[in-house]
Amino acid sequence: MIAVGLIGLLLGVIIASIALDIPLPEEWAAYLSLAALAGLDTAFGGWRASLEGRFHPDVFISGFIVNALLAALLAYLGDRIGVDLFLAAVVTLGGRMFLNLSLIRRYYLNQFALRRQRG
Amino acid sequence: MKDSKLYQMLVFFIIWLVVGLLLGLAFKEQTRIRTAELPSARLPELARAYVQEKRSNAALEEEIRQLRQKINELENAFASGTKQAQVLSQSLQEAKMIAGLLDVEGPGIELILQDSKRKPQGDSPELLPELYTIHDYDLLRVVNELRQAGAEAISINGQRIVATTGIRCTGPVVFINDVKMASPFTVLAIGDPKTLKGALEMPGGALADLKSVDPKMVQLRVLDKVRIPAYSGSTQFRYAQPAPPQEVKQ
Repeated sequence: MIAVGLIGLLLGVIIASIALDIPLPEEWAAYLSLAALAGLDTAFGGWRASLEGRFHPDVFISGFIVNALLAALLAYLGDRIGVDLFLAAVVTLGGRMFLNLSLIRRYYLNQFALRRQRG
Repeated sequence: MKDSKLYQMLVFFIIWLVVGLLLGLAFKEQTRIRTAELPSARLPELARAYVQEKRSNAALEEEIRQLRQKINELENAFASGTKQAQVLSQSLQEAKMIAGLLDVEGPGIELILQDSKRKPQGDSPELLPELYTIHDYDLLRVVNELRQAGAEAISINGQRIVATTGIRCTGPVVFINDVKMASPFTVLAIGDPKTLKGALEMPGGALADLKSVDPKMVQLRVLDKVRIPAYSGSTQFRYAQPAPPQEVKQ
């Protein structure tokens, strides 16, 4: 499952950097980055959920779309009203990514320890 | 179908693919912006162009000097001819003297203004760091005071102050006659030394503020002989031209 995800990620980056050439306005660059961050967060969440056996495609997809849109929207709103609202998204998403990653790490460590006990 | 392993995998794959796409796009976009905004790759190129411009500038200035000398020689040769030409030449010399196109010497003063080495201490609003540096307005006040006191020629760091001279701060440097300079500023003036000195040292005058901040910012000397160079910039008039005489309405 994870291997599938990583292949997808790699493929996406390669396609974006080679084939895709969408001329985006410069003001959108920040929102795009933020959307990418939100997407990454959701992807990590999905990874964790799949390890815990709680992976639901619907939750995953909707979470991905809503988070990415919300992050971009928040940043846009912040720009309009002069408050750095995008920081809220960055802090929340960054914090959650660290949390998810630590849980994923712990899961694999546990797995490893179990295997050694059995072996 | 909905809960099958294959479907989950497909969703997982697609989401990661989209994340990869977004990341790749964002990365590309940021790289594009950075290269567009900061032409760091072009810096060496700009540096080379700058050095080249500077060199050609120096060469052109040398050319101006040589041409001026040639004009002088020609004028002298011309003047040694007829009586009429001599008179003309004399009035020409006078005009050049007034315009600041001749090197001149005579008694006068030397004033050195430099940024204070002390740093402002405390938080009082009167202790602004701006007070500790020499600005264009300090120089302007000094020049104005000297002119008022009858100075016949003034130069700052070798730049002759003429009718078209501008004195203007641009960031940390001061432009005088379009030449960049920074502290210390050496102001030379020819005139009655006593009058010049007195005018500058007047209480509440041009130097009083600077002295009250740090007396070391100001050094004033009276000299028996000051040599002030001629104006070396362009004397081309691009817009103004002599107007025909006008009848005055009474």
